[in-house]
Amino acid sequence: MGHGRSLAGAVLTLALATGGPALAACGSGGDDRLVVYSGRTSNLIRPLLEDFAAESGISIDVRYDESANLALLIDEEGDRTPADVFISQSPGAVGFLDAAGRLAPLDDELIATVPDGDAAADAGWVGLSGRVRTLVYNPDLVDDSDLPDSVLDLTAPEYAGRVALAPTNGSFQDFVTVLRDQLGDEEAVAWLDGMAAGDPPTFDNNTAIVEAVGRGEVPMGLVNHYYAFRAKAENPDLPLENHYFPDGDLGSTLLVTAASEIADSDMPEEATKLIEFLLSPEAQRYFSEETFEYPLADGAEVNGALPPFEEISKTRVDLDELGGGLERTTAMIDESGLT
Amino acid sequence: MASPSGTDAAVALTDEYPKLAGSTSRDGRPFTGTAPRWLVAVCAVVGLLFAAPLLYLIWRNITGDEDLVDLYTSRATLIPLRNTLELAVATALSTAVVGTGLAWLTTRTDLPLRGLWAALAPLPLVFPSFVGGLALMAAVAPGGLLDAPLGWVGVEATRPEGFWGAWLVLTLFTTPYVLLPVAARLVALPPSLEESARLLGRRPSTVFRTVVLPQISGAIGAGALLVFLYTVSDFGVVVLLRYDTLTRAIYTNRLLDRDQSAALSLLLAVVALTVVAGERTLARRRHRGPLEAVRAARPLRVPLGRWRGPALAAVIVWVGLALGGPLASLGLWAWRGFSGETSSLASGDRGLSDLVEPALNTAGISIVTALVAIAVLLPLAYLSARHRARAADVANGFVATGFGLPALVVALSVVFWSRQLPEAWGLYQSFTMLVFAYVVHLGAQSLRAAEVAVGSVPSRLDESARMLGAGRLRRFRTIELPLMLPGLAAGGGLVLLSTMKELPITLLTAPLGFETLATRIWEDAEAVFLAEAGLASLVLVALSGILTWLLVVRRTERLA
Repeated sequence: MGHGRSLAGAVLTLALATGGPALAACGSGGDDRLVVYSGRTSNLIRPLLEDFAAESGISIDVRYDESANLALLIDEEGDRTPADVFISQSPGAVGFLDAAGRLAPLDDELIATVPDGDAAADAGWVGLSGRVRTLVYNPDLVDDSDLPDSVLDLTAPEYAGRVALAPTNGSFQDFVTVLRDQLGDEEAVAWLDGMAAGDPPTFDNNTAIVEAVGRGEVPMGLVNHYYAFRAKAENPDLPLENHYFPDGDLGSTLLVTAASEIADSDMPEEATKLIEFLLSPEAQRYFSEETFEYPLADGAEVNGALPPFEEISKTRVDLDELGGGLERTTAMIDESGLT
Repeated sequence: MASPSGTDAAVALTDEYPKLAGSTSRDGRPFTGTAPRWLVAVCAVVGLLFAAPLLYLIWRNITGDEDLVDLYTSRATLIPLRNTLELAVATALSTAVVGTGLAWLTTRTDLPLRGLWAALAPLPLVFPSFVGGLALMAAVAPGGLLDAPLGWVGVEATRPEGFWGAWLVLTLFTTPYVLLPVAARLVALPPSLEESARLLGRRPSTVFRTVVLPQISGAIGAGALLVFLYTVSDFGVVVLLRYDTLTRAIYTNRLLDRDQSAALSLLLAVVALTVVAGERTLARRRHRGPLEAVRAARPLRVPLGRWRGPALAAVIVWVGLALGGPLASLGLWAWRGFSGETSSLASGDRGLSDLVEPALNTAGISIVTALVAIAVLLPLAYLSARHRARAADVANGFVATGFGLPALVVALSVVFWSRQLPEAWGLYQSFTMLVFAYVVHLGAQSLRAAEVAVGSVPSRLDESARMLGAGRLRRFRTIELPLMLPGLAAGGGLVLLSTMKELPITLLTAPLGFETLATRIWEDAEAVFLAEAGLASLVLVALSGILTWLLVVRRTERLA
C-alpha cells in the first residue's frame, strides 16, 4: 500500500487532530438561540452582543458579512431564514429587504427613541448609530488654511487630482444621493463632472483611501469619519487628520446604521429586546466611546472628539421619493467617468 | 518510504518501456474502451451536483425580467466583457510562462536552495485577494514600504491600477496554479530521454523545447485554464485596482438590479463553458499518449552553469515580489500594532492566542475539503482521461463553471438548492453544506491535476498486473494510486490553499459562529484594524506554508 496509506493516514490524523474538536465545538444555532445577521463586523459590535446575552440570558449566534450580501442571503432563504435580527451598515440593505417584504414593523416605542428621520417611515428599521462624511488629510502635505469650507469647493482647480474618492463605495453613493436631494440632479452631476475633470485618484473603499493618505500617496480623501480614529488608535504617529466641513455643510452628512426585525423570525420578542438594548444608554455609549460613532438615541452624548450634532448635516433622504433612487445615483456616478 | 513490491516492479517495467522514445504508436492503450456503467453513473451524479450554480442562474434568469439579448449586446456589458477576457487571457499567458519556468528551475536544475524555493513559490496563492492586494499596494505605491529601495534602482513607485495593475497582481498571486501541476508532472517524468538528448549534444534549450515541453504541455494548459477561470471570477483584485470587469458589474448591481446581476453571471458561466470546450478540443488534438510516470532511480539535475546566478536572481525577485512584498506590509502592520501603545495587540486584548481556534478551523476544513474534492473528482478524471467519454466533457464543463463564477453566486445557489431539501435533514448551514459549496467552487482545481495524474499511469503496467491476476481494487491501490500521488497531491494542494483563504462562501454558508483566519482578516481589514489583520495574515501564510510543505512539496520531492 506504501505511501497511499501513509498520505491518507497522515491527512486524516491531522484533520481529526486539528479540525475535529474545533469543528465539533461550534454551535449550530438551535431553536432557542437568537440569530443575528450583522453587516457590522464583529470587532465593532460583538462586545455589545455579549453584554446583551449576559444581561438577558438570551443566547446569540451571529453571522457577519457585508450588509448587501446578508440582505441577499435573507431574501434567498425566504421563510426558512434562521435570522431574527438584521443589523445593517447602511439604509440601502435594510431598504432592499423592506421592499421585499422581509421585515417586520418595529414597535412605535422603539421608533420614538430616535429623532424623526432616523427610522424608516414604515417602521421597517430604526437607526442605531451614525458616521459623518469627512475630508481626511495628511497634515504633512496639506496646510490647515488650504482646507475648503464646503465639499462643493473641491471642484476648484487647486484640489484637482489631490482628493481621493471611492466612487463605487456605498457611503460615497449615499452622499451623492444627498447631493441630488438637496441641490437637484443637475448640480449633483455638475459636482461629479467637476471632480472627474481633476482626474482624482480613485479607490475601492475607505480603508484603502485612509491607508494611501497615511502613507502620503494622496494628500486628501473623502471618507467616513471613524477610519482615521481607528487607524490612529493603532498608530498614533500616522499623519492623518479629519477635516469636518463646517456649519452643516453637505460634506458633513450623517449616514446611519440600522437594525431591523425579520418578518419570519420565530423569536420576535427576543428580537425586539435586542434592538431595545442597542438603543439603550449603555449601548449608545459604546457606539460613542468605543467605535467613535454618533449615537442616535435621544439624549445620548456625542464623543468629545467629534463635532457636535449642530455642526454636521443631518439631511435625510427618502429614497422612494427621490426619482430613480439609488440606481439613478450609481448611474450618474458611472456617467461622470469616475468609476 | 516503504516501497511495495508492486511499485518496484513498475519501475523496472517502465524503465524499458518502448513508448519512452515518444513514438506515436498507440499500442498499450487498452483503456480507451467503453467506460463501465457504474463509473458513468457516478460521474453523472457528480456532474449534476456541480451544475448547481448554473441551474440556479438559469432559473433566476427565467423568472427574472431582464432582456438577455438587449443586455448582452449593450455597451455597458460588452466593454466589461472585453476587459474580462483581455485580463484573463493575458494573465493565463503570463502565468503559463512564469509558472513553467519556476517549476522547471525548482524540480530539474541545480538551482541553489531549490527546496526552499519549491516550498515558498506556491504560497502567494494563499493571500486573500482583498488583503493581498491592499498589502502589495502598501508596499509598492508611492510612500510605501518599497518606495525608497525602488528609488535606489531607479524605479518610480506607482500604485498598481487598471489593466496592468490587475494583470500584475493576478499574475503574482495565481502563478501557483501553473507551477504546482507542472512541477508534479516534471517530477514524474522519466529523466532518461532528456539525458539521452543531452548526451547527443542537443542544447539545453532545444532539449527543453523538443523533449520536455511536449510532455508538460497538458499540465501547463490545465494550470493556465485555472488561472483564466480564477481571473474571470475574481472580484477582490479588479475592484481594488479599479478595472471594470463583468464581476464588478455583478457585484455593484447585486442589490440594485438583481436580474441584471443574474444575467451577467450567466454570461460569465457561458464564457467559462466556452473556454473549457475550447481547451478540451485542443487537448484532444494534442499529441496523444504522454510519457508515463515513473519513479526515477535518481533525480535529474540539469546544471545551469553560468545561468545559475541569473536564474537564482530571477527566482528571488519573483518570490520577493509575490510573497515578500505583501508579507513585508503585513509584518509592518502587525509590528506597528505590537509596538504602538494604543492598539489591542499592544494592550494584550488581542494576540496570537485569539487566532488558535480560527487557525485550527482553517486547517481542518481545508484538509477535509481537499480530500473530498480529490475523492469526488477522481472518477470523473478516470472517465475523461481513460475513456475519453463525451459525457465526461459535459461534466467537466459544469465543474469549470463552478470555479468560473464568483463565490457569492455559488454560495447563493447552494443556499437556494438546500432550501428545496426537507428542513428536517438539518443540512442548512451545516459543515456538509459548507464543504459541498467549497468543492463546487474550488473542485475544478483538483480535477485538472487528477486528469494529468490518471493519464500518466502506464497502461502496460495495469495490463501486466491484470494478467498476474490482481483485482481492480488491488491494481488501483498498489499500482495506480502510488503513481498518481504527486498529481493528486498537487491538485489537492491547490484546493487546500484556496479553501484556506476562501471568504464569500465561508461568510454566507458556514455554520453560525464558525470563524476562519480569512474571516478574521476580512473583518479586521474592513474596520482598518490593520495590525490585527496583518497578524492574522501572517499566521495564515505560515499555516499554509507548513501544510503545503507537509502534504504537497515534501511528498512530491520524495518521489523524485
